[in-house]
Amino acid sequence: MTTVAQPVLARDPREAEKSESQIRVVLRRFMRHRLAVLSVILIAIIFTASLLAPVIAPFPRDAIDLSSNIRPAPPGTTDSEGRVHYLGIDHLGRDLFTRVLYAARVSMSIAILVVLISETFGALLGAVAGYYGGMVDTVISRIIEFMLTIPSLPILLIISAILLRRDVVLPLPGFLNNFLSSLLLAPPREAQKVVVLVLVLVIFGWLGAARLMRGMALSLSKQDFVEALRASGASDARIIFRHIIPNGIAPILVNASLGIGGVIVTESALSFLGLGVQDPTPTWGNMLSTSQSYMFQNPWLPLVPGVFLVIVSIGFNFIGDGMRDALDPRLKR
Amino acid sequence: MKNLKLLSLVAILAIASMVLAACPAPAAEPAAPQVVTQIVEVVKEVEKTVEVVVESTVEVVKEVTTEDYSTPHPVLSDLKVRQALAYCLDRSALIASVYPYVEDGAVLEMDSFLPKTHWAYKGPYADMPMYDPEKGNALLDEAGWTLAEGATVRQNADGEVLAVKFTTTTAQFRQTWSAVAQQNLAACGIQMLTNYTPASWWFGDTTGLTRRDFELGAFAWVGQADPSGRTLYACDQVPVPSNNWEGQNYMGWCNEAASAAIVKANNTLIRDERIAAYDTVQKEFAKDVVSIPVFQRAEAEAWSANLEGVRSDATEYATANLQEWKLLDGGDTIVIGMTQEPDSMWSLVSSMAAQRLVVIPAKGHIASQYSYDFQPVLQDGLSTIESGLATNDTVEVKAGDTVYSVNGEPVALEAGVKVFDVDGNEVEFTGSEAIKMPQLKVTYKMQDYTWSDGTAGSVADMELGFNIDCDKESGAVEFITCDAIADKAFATDAKEVTVTYVPGYQAPTYYLYPFSLYPSHQVLADGRNLAEVPASEWATLPEIAETPLSFGPYVITEWVKGQSITMAKNEFYAGDVATPNVIFVFVADTNQAVAQLLNGDVDYLDDSTLGAGAEVQTVIDAAKSTGNVKYEISASSTWEHIDINLFTK
Amino acid sequence: MTNYLIRRIIQMIFVIFLAALFTYYLFTVSPGGPLAGIQQQQRRITREDMARLRAQYEMDFYWPYRFSRWLIGLPNGPITIGGKEIFSNVAVGCYLARDEQTVEQNGQLVKIPKGCDQYVYLADIPELHPAIKSSKGILRGDFGLSTVVRPGRPVFGEMMTRLPATLELMLLSTFLSFLFGIPIGIYSAIKQYSRFDYTFTTVSFIGSAMPTFFFGLMLILVFSVLPNLLQDSLPWLPKLPPGSRVAVRPYEVASWLPRVTPGTGLDRFLHILMPLGVLTFFSMATWSRFVRSSMLEVMRQDYVRTARAKGLVEKTVVIKHALRNALIPFVTIAVLTIPGFFSGAIITETVFAWPGMGRLYFDALNRSDWPIALAFIFVTALLTVVATLLGDILYTVVDPRIKYT
Repeated sequence: MTTVAQPVLARDPREAEKSESQIRVVLRRFMRHRLAVLSVILIAIIFTASLLAPVIAPFPRDAIDLSSNIRPAPPGTTDSEGRVHYLGIDHLGRDLFTRVLYAARVSMSIAILVVLISETFGALLGAVAGYYGGMVDTVISRIIEFMLTIPSLPILLIISAILLRRDVVLPLPGFLNNFLSSLLLAPPREAQKVVVLVLVLVIFGWLGAARLMRGMALSLSKQDFVEALRASGASDARIIFRHIIPNGIAPILVNASLGIGGVIVTESALSFLGLGVQDPTPTWGNMLSTSQSYMFQNPWLPLVPGVFLVIVSIGFNFIGDGMRDALDPRLKR
Repeated sequence: MKNLKLLSLVAILAIASMVLAACPAPAAEPAAPQVVTQIVEVVKEVEKTVEVVVESTVEVVKEVTTEDYSTPHPVLSDLKVRQALAYCLDRSALIASVYPYVEDGAVLEMDSFLPKTHWAYKGPYADMPMYDPEKGNALLDEAGWTLAEGATVRQNADGEVLAVKFTTTTAQFRQTWSAVAQQNLAACGIQMLTNYTPASWWFGDTTGLTRRDFELGAFAWVGQADPSGRTLYACDQVPVPSNNWEGQNYMGWCNEAASAAIVKANNTLIRDERIAAYDTVQKEFAKDVVSIPVFQRAEAEAWSANLEGVRSDATEYATANLQEWKLLDGGDTIVIGMTQEPDSMWSLVSSMAAQRLVVIPAKGHIASQYSYDFQPVLQDGLSTIESGLATNDTVEVKAGDTVYSVNGEPVALEAGVKVFDVDGNEVEFTGSEAIKMPQLKVTYKMQDYTWSDGTAGSVADMELGFNIDCDKESGAVEFITCDAIADKAFATDAKEVTVTYVPGYQAPTYYLYPFSLYPSHQVLADGRNLAEVPASEWATLPEIAETPLSFGPYVITEWVKGQSITMAKNEFYAGDVATPNVIFVFVADTNQAVAQLLNGDVDYLDDSTLGAGAEVQTVIDAAKSTGNVKYEISASSTWEHIDINLFTK
Repeated sequence: MTNYLIRRIIQMIFVIFLAALFTYYLFTVSPGGPLAGIQQQQRRITREDMARLRAQYEMDFYWPYRFSRWLIGLPNGPITIGGKEIFSNVAVGCYLARDEQTVEQNGQLVKIPKGCDQYVYLADIPELHPAIKSSKGILRGDFGLSTVVRPGRPVFGEMMTRLPATLELMLLSTFLSFLFGIPIGIYSAIKQYSRFDYTFTTVSFIGSAMPTFFFGLMLILVFSVLPNLLQDSLPWLPKLPPGSRVAVRPYEVASWLPRVTPGTGLDRFLHILMPLGVLTFFSMATWSRFVRSSMLEVMRQDYVRTARAKGLVEKTVVIKHALRNALIPFVTIAVLTIPGFFSGAIITETVFAWPGMGRLYFDALNRSDWPIALAFIFVTALLTVVATLLGDILYTVVDPRIKYT
């Protein structure tokens, strides 16, 4: 098998970066990637808006404006009661601006949850595999290889068909249910379905992180400072959590950032195939796929969620790109 | 090699656990204190000489007082609540939400289970509540569901909120109108919890609707030329565990008057009597509000301005008169776009609309069904009693005779069997006293026809049709007509057959030739004669499933899978064919189909392809702006309704 | 190397077997099935009708047995060893299943648990399930018969009719995406942070951020629908056929051009243009990013710096030293596109009505035609495993430093 060339360090390489100046260096390097910085700003704005959705949104999420009978109606439409629909009205008579805001919340939550869970899970598994090696490594690596062999989209379609098509109720504790429902600004039943989708996407989502972390852990565990730690009686858990994972975190962060964009796009593809989050819970993906029937007639209808989706997805890609450059220790600029 | 061993171990474990998980659950737990366990063994003979051993552990459970779905629903069994639900639904808003382009939505509204244009509809049925939220609110107050100051949802005296679960499919169209329905009900203080499930669950054979797993359930029935309805509204058609979930009366509606009337309506041949019986059912249906008919679906079809001769109809497929279609620019090829591709050209095993559209012109039509009624095409006149081709004589039946029971099954007459006598009354056989019953004897005649290979049709084609369509191995779903045949006699010199049905069998559409015509002379590619091939193989024969011989105006010449079916004029067809070539192309996506129509790549999109969604608006606007396309929007025979489950588990 | 290969191949067989078992199991628990929707029509279906129909699709068998029949076609009857039939009394399925029932018996309500009223034994198989509908097993090259999409017709034949369309589209788009993606990646790496780099980074991110169906429909709108709607004001606008693989009759691209004859090269070219454009755009983006980052990686290596320090011309450094090494990982990854040549692109094929494999699979999945869906997944998984192995072997070929033991 191949191994990545790694400089041999006697000390935990992180200690060198711990100083204030190192963080500043990373930050300075990141700032140099202008598009990444722009993306951070844009995403921050959308993120804040989605946090404030119930405050900013001019209408309730599912309210049908019965005073306007043009459906869908273009951006800037004013209904008979004088209320303005900034981004127009959808095919049901619901305010698009409102729904896009709520959708931001759901779509970004899905993406972040999927990435958070799968990167954490993947990193842990990868670190364990790489650190212990031997049997543990063999089992985990084989599982990863197996998962990579089975064609993911076809299988995702089957699994989401099974889970989303049945009214699966997850045995979540009450407080978690409440938390999710307030996170997504959706009733608990809808939130449950979102969680099911998140879990479906995690099934194939953790492989990349696991492989990255395994590679890092494999080389780190052979380095002198780890040997030294072991000799000094540090427990395996301590070594993994305090040294291995923090050292390998940089590529995971990059991977996560790129992953968020991917999840948003995958969710919309599943929606197009009829297997994503269901209306009335809005996501950019299902708003986009719902409006595809209106594509030739009212092209702005798919454009509204489409623009948000593309901007955020590209944004996370740029951030990932910027982070890769900034965190690369070999890059001197 | 260590890895390999480990891997195989893991594999074996995984397989073992899956196998274990799949094994049937072990027999009942050891007896709990109040449970008596006994073993019942019954051995009986069934077909195929396979011995059946019913071996089951039977528990006598004292606490069990009722079976599933025999407890009245705490909320929905109240008529006032059901009426209120119907009063609160603004049908015109529902229609407008899905068909914004339909100018007069009122033509789609329904107050019964039959469309207003049907011959058996004698409405309006004023008892069916139409939109009137004030009445709805008043009824809810009366029923004890009150709206507290400032609250949005009604509550009863026990503090329970008025929430009902609404189950339907994930179809965009249903989600759209149910969102409006949700708003409507919310305005009356009823919380409607929507549950969009995939069609495969909702219509699955052991899930969803069939297991009555719903409170309010929305779906559609396809209206037919014959209203039938027995399986939907009769008391004995309520699916429950004890009858193995047979029947389609998912509401659990048992109204004696309605049930008797629907059974009668399906057991008489006189149209006036049928109309009267259906009127009774519809009146009771409106009074009891067990199912809210919402609207007839709109359907739209569109064609190029270059095409003429299209005849739209709610109950007949558009291509039934394909031989009359003509291109104005003199073109010799009509192209029809379809989102679905037919599965098989053998109609016995297919129920797809796309398949019918192709097969009707490409194999031939025995009878058509325009405007909720039937017209003969190849059949030499409908074999009605009036035409003299059928008789419904009275016969006396005695013990041991095969008769048609009230349940719609041919059985040997013995004590306790219930049948309809000649006056339409339900009587129970005492074991000795003979009963007078009607017996149908019908002669079906065919006009002369020639197969597309030049061979003239013969009575053997009819005989083959009877044999194959009634063969249990053929893959057909049910054999109701087959089982009801007591005797059949094929003419030797004419294309006709006389069928004697078992006494009591009174099918309303008895005058239609019940089976198919197959080319009995055809020799297959492997040298066998079609008539000698067992029915179980028929679905696999290219000569049947892909390029069948035709007695209709066209014949299939080529089928490129996933792309197109090409048909050419049948040289041996007796009538006129205006356009010699027709090609069906498969386009997968409605947007794509519309784009191809606008681009002139296809000439016609039927209603199953164009649907009635937002794409219709594109066609309408294009028709207005360029004039290159034409369209027709009509009320379809398919109707949306909300079934109310009167019982709970 | 031989040992390594043998080990890998044995592993592959296990992985394929597990993948097959896993997907087969998924299908058995997934809702639907070939008989779903039978209740949507008003008609009377008895329990016996249902049992007969289920038996036609072998749904009366327990799934592990059905799996074995699908995989190897065995056992298709009682197993005979030394002239003695063994296991002939093993129940492999249930012909007449019974749900939990509550019936009255001797004045008491009695609950009969779920069970089976008529089992299927191995001895019954030859009679109950005639050979004509049985599969010899996918491992013996028999993909079985389709159940819904093309009832009774062989799955293999159905796939073969779709393969040419998918191959054409996927091979061309892969070739074009390499043709454009590689040079763009190299140039972006050399001119890192230049305007060129920024532009193509953005373009490639758009490629990975835009849902395919959205982009595809936009193309149809712009190149096909709008020109038709604008016929009155701009009659000279050319228009592209919105979809399908070939036309079925002559058509017009622009009023000032002669009509295109169906089946010609030009006709095929016009039809493939949009789906090819979409797929190329998306995969080109991925490849250019990949080449860019591996180029950057290599250019930071010591030997490149040494080469520069030696005073070699930048062009020579890039082409002779950096490029060669940067393309090593690329070659091994590029092999992984092989399964795609078979499996196609589900969404693009649907949007553009391309009669390919992806559309067949999605159709089969939607309409519960399990034999087609299973065969598709099986072959895709097989190709993935083979491609992975091929990639690893290629690694040793292009980079002699790596040795497998």
